[in-house]
Amino acid sequence: MSTIERFPAAWVLPTLIPVALFTIYPVAEALWTSLHQVMVLMPDQPFVGLENYKTVIFGDYFADALRNSLLFVLFCAPLVVIIGTAVALFLRRPFFGAGIVRSVVLLPWVLPGAISAVLWVWVFHPSFGVLNGLLKSLGLIERSIPWLIDVNLVFVSIVAAHVWTQVPFAVVLVMAALSATNEEAIEAAKIDGANALQRFRFITFPQIKAMIVVLLIYNALTAFTAYDLVYAMTGGGPGTATTLLAFQIWRESFSMYDFGAGSAVAFIVVAISALLILAISKAMPSDLFEEA
Amino acid sequence: MLRTLAGRLGTFAGAMLILLFTGGPVLMSLTGSLVPDRVLFDENKGLLDEGIRFDNYRYIFTGELPDSYQQAGANRAMISQTARQVPFALVNSVQISFSAALLALLLATPAAYMYARVAFRGKKLTFMFLILSPLVPTVALVTPIYMTIEAMGLLGSKLGIIFVHAVKAIPFVVLIISVFFRKLPVELFEAAQLDGCTRMQTFLRIALPVALPSVAATGLFAFMLSYAEFMFSMVLSGDSGSRPISVVMAALARNTDVSWGLLNASIFIAIVPTLILVAMVWRFVVEGMLRGAIKG
Amino acid sequence: MKPRMKAWFGALAIAGTALTAQPALADVKLEFVVWNYSIDTIQDNIKKFEAENPGITVNLTDYTWPDYQDSLLLRFRGGTQTDVVYGGQDWLPAWAAAGYLAPLEDIAPAETLDALKKDIAGFALSDMTYKGKLYGLPYYADTISFLYNKKILEEKGIPVPTTWDEVMAASEKLKADGMERPIVYEYNQELPNFFDAFVAQTYSRGGDLFDADKKAIFDNPENAAYQQLQWLADAFAKGLVQPETHESKIIPAMNTGKHAFTIVYNYVLAAMNTPGEQALAGQFALAPMPGSAQSTLGFTKFYAVTAKTAADAERAEAAWKFVNFMAGKPYKVAERWAAEKGLGFGQMPLFQNKDVIDAWQKWVDVPTLEKQVASARAGTWTEWTVIWSAYFRPLLAKAMVGEASVAETMKAGAERWNMMQARFAK
Repeated sequence: MSTIERFPAAWVLPTLIPVALFTIYPVAEALWTSLHQVMVLMPDQPFVGLENYKTVIFGDYFADALRNSLLFVLFCAPLVVIIGTAVALFLRRPFFGAGIVRSVVLLPWVLPGAISAVLWVWVFHPSFGVLNGLLKSLGLIERSIPWLIDVNLVFVSIVAAHVWTQVPFAVVLVMAALSATNEEAIEAAKIDGANALQRFRFITFPQIKAMIVVLLIYNALTAFTAYDLVYAMTGGGPGTATTLLAFQIWRESFSMYDFGAGSAVAFIVVAISALLILAISKAMPSDLFEEA
Repeated sequence: MLRTLAGRLGTFAGAMLILLFTGGPVLMSLTGSLVPDRVLFDENKGLLDEGIRFDNYRYIFTGELPDSYQQAGANRAMISQTARQVPFALVNSVQISFSAALLALLLATPAAYMYARVAFRGKKLTFMFLILSPLVPTVALVTPIYMTIEAMGLLGSKLGIIFVHAVKAIPFVVLIISVFFRKLPVELFEAAQLDGCTRMQTFLRIALPVALPSVAATGLFAFMLSYAEFMFSMVLSGDSGSRPISVVMAALARNTDVSWGLLNASIFIAIVPTLILVAMVWRFVVEGMLRGAIKG
Repeated sequence: MKPRMKAWFGALAIAGTALTAQPALADVKLEFVVWNYSIDTIQDNIKKFEAENPGITVNLTDYTWPDYQDSLLLRFRGGTQTDVVYGGQDWLPAWAAAGYLAPLEDIAPAETLDALKKDIAGFALSDMTYKGKLYGLPYYADTISFLYNKKILEEKGIPVPTTWDEVMAASEKLKADGMERPIVYEYNQELPNFFDAFVAQTYSRGGDLFDADKKAIFDNPENAAYQQLQWLADAFAKGLVQPETHESKIIPAMNTGKHAFTIVYNYVLAAMNTPGEQALAGQFALAPMPGSAQSTLGFTKFYAVTAKTAADAERAEAAWKFVNFMAGKPYKVAERWAAEKGLGFGQMPLFQNKDVIDAWQKWVDVPTLEKQVASARAGTWTEWTVIWSAYFRPLLAKAMVGEASVAETMKAGAERWNMMQARFAK
């Protein structure tokens, strides 16, 4: 396999063409828009250079939204991967009822985002929240904990909800990756007296590392561009405590009728996403991007 | 002895923790669909004080109003007919998501195989293009893609949604399946080459069968990506004929004319068939993978 | 979309439509776009219309309320056939200025319109008028109202508050007696409701955010809006307020009995007071909006016709027939919304309609409501109000929770308004 062949069009083009059709033109259109003044109420669409980008970056919300979004990624992506891996490792061993647990784990996955939001609002709600009710009836608290009201607790709430929605996918992929690992090496390590943590670190982990990197990248992207769940839970508040950058694209474009500025935010999001991918693949080198 | 007991307790605790975290909110939803709102939100009443009721389910399937609305003079402000779209939307969703997943797998699996096993010209460039294409946030793409679908005459049809969902899934499908194909032992392919298999034969007869559980797992992912997608589903569907469940559920979650019980009954009806379907595929995947692991 | 792409896709489209059956030429198929509130009722109304008007069929498309405006913008920008839409008072100037909507004067007989106008409430007429022309007929018209829990106030011996200071005092007393957060306040940057409620409170103090020339004047500490924001910030700081992202959650929250006051649309009161369904149904009542003026914001959602449709004589005629059926005399459809769903109406004769009043008496004191509606004022809706409000809402949110000062917030909001006004004047 050392010879470099010519481009295998029949194999690869059926993938590349549809993706290009739905990517290149829309992205070009969005790029054009970000460099022009495109407002619903203004018939002219003059070229404005980087003006839209300037407006966005120096806007009132940008710093807050960027900070919130990065924090959100920082908490969510690793948590999803850690919990997903732990659950996958756990579910791999046989135990009574394993089949049921393996199925129930998928539950958060089959719920549309709007519904996950309803359920998690119900968990955390200050008036009729199940969590506060539970803690109260167990005698652990007397007054309601202001989950969705306090600016710090609200972040805990949205991270919990988001992680919940993403864990099943991580479990599925890590389990799939685990099935391809070499069991004999683990048995050998057991005999050598390696403990569970060592066995994971030195034997299992290197074999599933590529998948972990894929998952980290996917989850960083998902968390960075997500806002549906968060907005359904908090409306971006209280104050601007949960205002996220990705939502600003929507706000600029459709609420403020400024598609130029909206597209500018989009490209800022693209640039930061690319940096995130780069950072992750640099921090965790794997054979993912290597030539086979 | 003590060690295995502790181990069992640990397993039990772990299983319960996982069940509670992933299943807890859904259990709440089941409760909410069966217990009247007036009891559910009243701290002074026990959950089962007034028994359970199935009239929200009855309403969704038959259209017969829940009992509390049949009282003389009851205001009907809290009874949304959108809930009655749930069963039909579920059928739409399964059609759309299944087609999208299948389309994505058909288009992407051969490419994933190439990217995993063969060095070719333009590989790095096109692979990077695939990986980077999902970076552009959906909201920035809504307008141009809407206009593309509109120009193709596919607005308001399932076909338009299927296309968009399949294309959205393809980069991830290529990425994930190529990870699996890379893991296949080289000996497998050398043996095939010695037997004189063409590349297509090797792919179809050797690589694909071995990787089938992984491909199915990835298909499941593509299915769910489509099933949960909201934005394109909403702007491209338009009416109940092509509208998938994610849009109907969002409408229910965001409207004032839906009682909590009715919302939860809808949630539950939406969850159960999908969960059964997904769990079945997943079971096949897990079994296949465990078998594969034992063999390997 | 670039012309070449369009042509290419156009060819595909022609190939696609050639395969599907063509409708008979004489029939007009109207595309009616709504947000999805009670779709079955709308479908049923459409069926009645179609039965009365052979040759016209109506295809209904619906979007969720939070996504409605955005989806409609997509349709307008994408050139999707759209004939009749639900419009809103806040969107009208922008949509009309952008050339999306057409005035009814273009498609309807003047004498019919004049007769209909006489029946429409003042604020509703103002909401549907842009540059002196009428752009719609009411789907429903409603006010934002101050709601309270009768039983809780009676038990604590607290009189119904008539000023914001009294609301504060009552809430502090309730909090001292163990109620954690007496006021539920709808708050969501994403939704215009949040800004509408703020305007309503400003009106109740007898003030306005803008002067007669539509200049922003709320950065003055004497201004009613300024004072109300200060009041809200104080109430938040004292821990009296529970923010709530959506009215659908206000209904169960108020029904837990853990809150005494809220400020929402009237139909939420109808939902909160649904007997058999809600735990505390019957305990909730409407009081005049507190403040010296006791006025509030009235608003109107209406049936509007697109400019593209108005330019096509055949479609325009069908569209007008449809709008007139849905909102014209004898107001059967509006009556149905009012009686069955508790939606307010812009057609004032319905206050004399026995069926409506009988239905409403089950959830609200009709004389109090009628008085509130009569004193309601329309908002200041300009081409840039929606855009400005989207900018201003997060600032307002920050000031409420104490992240920003009231003075800075009001100054920034007023500057942006005046800047936009100057820009649109050109």
